[in-house]
Order: sequence, then C-alpha cells, then structure tokens
Amino acid sequence: MAERAGKPLMQWLRQPGVLAAVPVTLFLLGGFVGPLILVWWYSLMPPRTFSLAQTPTLDNFISSAAGSYYISFGWSLYLSAVTVVILILICYPVAYGMAKLFGKWANLITLLVVLQLLVSENIRLFGWVLFLLKNGIMDGSALYLFGLSVPSILYTVPAIVLGLVYVYLPFMLFPMVLGLSMVPETLKEAAFDLGATRMAVFREIELPLSSPGLMIGGLLTFVLALGSLAESKILGGQRVIMIADDIESAFTFAQNWPRGAALSVLVMVISGGLVLLLLLRLDLDRIMGRR
Amino acid sequence: MKTNKTRRNFLQQTSAWAAGAAAAGTMGLPNFAHAGREKELNIYCWEGYNSDDVLDPFRREFKANVKAEGLTSDPDAVNRLRAGETKVWDLINLNNPWARELMWPEGLIKELPRDRFEPMFEKMMPAFHPPYEWAMDKTGKHLLGMTQRFGPFSFVVNTDKISRKMAEDQGFKLFLDPKMKGRYGVLTYDNWNIYHMCIAADVHPFKKHNKAEMDAYTKVAKQVFNGAKLLTDDLVAMNLALINGEIDAYFTGGTYTASPARFDGAKQVRGITPNSGPMDGKGGIVWIELTSVVNHPQISPLAEEFLAYVQRGDVSKKVAFAEGTYNPVTQMGAKDVLALFNKEELDAIQWDSLEQEMANSADYDINPDYAEMYEIYSAAKREREG
Repeated sequence: MAERAGKPLMQWLRQPGVLAAVPVTLFLLGGFVGPLILVWWYSLMPPRTFSLAQTPTLDNFISSAAGSYYISFGWSLYLSAVTVVILILICYPVAYGMAKLFGKWANLITLLVVLQLLVSENIRLFGWVLFLLKNGIMDGSALYLFGLSVPSILYTVPAIVLGLVYVYLPFMLFPMVLGLSMVPETLKEAAFDLGATRMAVFREIELPLSSPGLMIGGLLTFVLALGSLAESKILGGQRVIMIADDIESAFTFAQNWPRGAALSVLVMVISGGLVLLLLLRLDLDRIMGRR
Repeated sequence: MKTNKTRRNFLQQTSAWAAGAAAAGTMGLPNFAHAGREKELNIYCWEGYNSDDVLDPFRREFKANVKAEGLTSDPDAVNRLRAGETKVWDLINLNNPWARELMWPEGLIKELPRDRFEPMFEKMMPAFHPPYEWAMDKTGKHLLGMTQRFGPFSFVVNTDKISRKMAEDQGFKLFLDPKMKGRYGVLTYDNWNIYHMCIAADVHPFKKHNKAEMDAYTKVAKQVFNGAKLLTDDLVAMNLALINGEIDAYFTGGTYTASPARFDGAKQVRGITPNSGPMDGKGGIVWIELTSVVNHPQISPLAEEFLAYVQRGDVSKKVAFAEGTYNPVTQMGAKDVLALFNKEELDAIQWDSLEQEMANSADYDINPDYAEMYEIYSAAKREREG
C-alpha cells in the first residue's frame, strides 16, 4: 500500500514544474515564512527574554491586552480608515480621467506620481515639515505676500493624515485606474441607449465593475497605513502613537522582544483577517480577466 | 526533446560548476580560516568613528581593510555581542557604564595593556586622569577601554526666549511650569528621557527606587508628555523647531544635539546643565564614551593600534568634529590638541561653560528599575492628552 501511495507522490515530485519551483519554494520558506514563524514563536516566549528555547506562555498577549495598547491600535485603525476614505474621494476622479479621458496625458500623470516614489519617504515628509513649519515656506510666504500668519497644522493629527494620504496615494490610484479601465464602453453605451441617466450609469455599471480595483487599492492603502510610522513621527510630532511605533520601541529601547513580537502578531492577525475577508468577496481570476 | 536536452546540459554544466566551487571551497577554506587578521579591523561604534575622515588615514597608514558600523543603542549593541557577534567585531564603542558593569563581567571584552595605554590618560583633561573609574574594572586592576568623546546631556533652550541663567536655576522643573505647556518638545531618546524625568521628579535615576519615588516619576512622565508640543527622535527636526519658534526648549539634549545648530550659526540654541538636582546635589548627566577591545577569538592586532591612533591630536580633532554632531574630547586637556580648535568650533561645543557643566553633572550610569520605568514611560507617551 505504502509503495502504491508513494508512487504518485514521487511522480508528482519529479515533474519539471515542481522541480523548478523547489529553489524558489525553499527561498520563500527560509526568507519569508521562516522569519514570520520566528516572530510568532517569539511572541510566546516569556517577557524580556531573548532565547527561543523556553516554555511558551501567553503572558505577552495578556499584558498587551491589559495595558493601554488599545489606544495605539485604535489610532492606527482609525487613521488608516480615514486615509482610505480620503484617498477614494481624491483618486476616483483622477483615476477616471486617466482611464477614460486624458488619453496620452495619462502617461504624464503616471510618470509624475511614480517619480516621487524614487525619493525616500522620510525626505518627502521632511519636505512637508519645511513647508508647514512656523515661519516655514507656507507661513513665511503668506506673511511676506499678504501680511498674515497661517496657523500651522504641523504636529497635529490632520498633519499625520496629510502625510498618509500623500505617501499612499499611488497605491490607491493605480489599482483604481486598472479597475476603471476594465469597464467596457459598450456597456455604458447600451445603458445610455436604454435611457439610463449619467448617475444611473455610474451607480449601476461603472462603480460595481470598477469595484475590484477600488477594493484592492483600499486594502493596500489600509494595510500600509496600519503599519505606518514615519508620518506620525515626522509630521505629527508623535501627537498620537501608532502601533508600529510601539512595536519599534519594544524591540529597541524596551529590549522586550517577546512583547514586540506579540504586538506584531496582533497587527498581522488584523491585517490578515481583512485580506481574507476581502478575498472571500473578490474573485482575483475574474479581475485578471482569466474567466 | 530539445528542451529536455538543453535542460540536461544546463544541469550538467551547473553540477560541474558546483563541484568546481565545492572543490575550490574545500581547498581554499582552510587557508582562509588560518589566515591571520593582520590587515582587517571591524569597529562597532556610535556615529563619528565610522566617518571616512577618521578611518581613511588609518586605512592608508596601516594598509588595513577597516569596516565600521554605526550603532543606535547601547543595550542593543551589548545584546549583539551576547548573541555571538564577538566573532565579528574587534572594537566596540559604548557609553561609560557598559564595559565595567556588564561587558567585562560577562567576558565580552578584553583588557588593555596598562603600560601602553595608561600614559595616554595622563594627557587627557584632569577629570579623566588615571585611574579613571569607568575605564577600570571594579577591582581597579584591569584597564577596559579608552575615553574620548563626552558631553553634558540634560536639556536645550532657545536663549532668545528663555535665559540661560533662568534655565540653569530652574533645571528640569522648567518643563513642569504650566506656562511652558505647548512650548517645548521631547527628544525621544527614551532611556535618557527616563533619567531626566527622574531628575525632574527629584528622584536619583541611578539608584533602586521605592514606591513613593516611582509615583513621583510616573506623575512627571505624564506631565512632561501632556505638555509637549512635539515628540521626535530626530535632533535636526528638533533644532529646526527650536530655531523657527515652534518651541522654546526641548527636554533631553545637550552639546551633542545643540552643537550642529550652533556650528551653523544658531548660537541661541544652547545645551543647559541644571545648577542643582537630586544626584548628590547635581542636576545634570554627562555621558562618556569608552572604546574597548572585543573578546574576539581571533582579535585583529590593529584593534590596539586603532585605539592608539585615535588618541593622536589631529585625529582627536577629527573625532570631535566628525559627521552629524560635534562633541568635546578628553584629549583637549593637552594644549597642543586644544590649539587645533578655532573659536567657532569651541563655541559650537560650549567650551566656555564645559567645566561648570561637568561639575554640575553626575556620570551616566545604569538604572536598576529601567524595565519597570520604561513601561510607565511608554504608557504615558501612548496616553498623551491634548
């Protein structure tokens, strides 16, 4: 029996495709899955220890739940949600224009949006600091030109939102452009021919058919914003502490790796849960046009 | 079929290459393992020692291959040595307490030959003359490292807004004054913040604390965070906010953080050491770096050479004014070294008040309640109001 069961497995293993995939699989196991397992395992080690060979405990999760980490989680989730909503409102019209109206000019917009990605995020955010700073570019120019001082939003929550929206805009824009460009013109024409209003076409055809792009963009930006750190540090003056900040502190100044690992696991569970929830509602094959 | 043949050829070729590489490896490896490290040196240090201005002349003179990595936290660095990186580094440069209190007792560093290195302490500023406590082990027999950069580290004000005298007289209480709410930042060097919050609460940071002291510390930690306009761990951003008038002072800072702004001409940015405080009457803290030879199983002979090299006058000057931040060096005790610094440079590192600031400062040390105080600190930061 064992021999018979072993044969198909061996045959399967000998397939060229499987063999060719072995190096990449090993690489992913060692380089991607391995560290994640380490983080999960570390989260079960006793607090403030560095060895992995100890009796697992849930202490880190219990103390994290008992502490005030809910504040950081709350802010991170809230600011991520606000960022996604603002990005949808900003990006939808731009994406619509790029997909349907701008023609060759769409490439220029793509280039402009992509170009900024070549500059480090911290430098771009520091540019905003110089712009928003008291006596900085905005305040100083207003004072010079109009004689009035502009109240600064630097080191406030709106400044953090500004940073998040600015940094994650491309991650919302491009999936949206892709989603909108897959809405067939013929469907819209048919709807107009049948007497649909502009609003009805938008509600019944464009929005539902472009929603995969919108959802992927929303998911990407939400998860990225959830793990963000620099915007709150540089533009927000840490007006609020994001959960990524707490994780960083646990691994560095606090020297409490298991606590940091436990907080990381909680973030992974939240973002992983969201991805799963979305994938249940989304058919990737259909989006890619395979079916 | 053609594909298969090509693939087989490819596999044959790769296995031949692999066999060749393995053979070369087995032949080459013993040579490599036995090769001495005469021309190789690995340094793990705070920024400055990894500057090419400091390293390049050494590389040329000793025809050495020197690698240096900057560190960002003393305890992190100690943990890396504990985790086995004693096989990587030849020299480690940390703040004063770690060699004597931890690295030497745990066998992570080697002692230095006293006959060669102790005379170099004679040329340093008087406070560092031998036997210098932090450079020796607790028995006073073993020399554990060399000192160079140091600096008072308490807080920084804009003297156009808050006078130096008032700041020195009030000390850290300045930040508890309701009038200062929203007018200062906290430079989040977390461990230093904790020490300074202790001082603001009239608590000695480097002793075991009772409940009343912990309560006083907790109250101050919350008050300092709640009154702060901004928190950042970026000294450039903090100096910028100070110069542009966003804030008038920042909690945690000193020569190390103020000197780049002062050297750029912003003389109103000034590190302040309180006149008095709870550490046997002292209210400020001074850090002193100590560079030690790591207990590497195959230590490079260049490690000691580098320690002697950075003590030279011209190199000391380069270390003092390396990239990023500018700091006094103990070698400025020698007249010929001091003469290498011009007026602007001396002004940047607040040479005029250095002696007074040192007299009003206690030496940086290890806080026995750090872990517990850190929990309180991070909760106060998270729960910040306003």
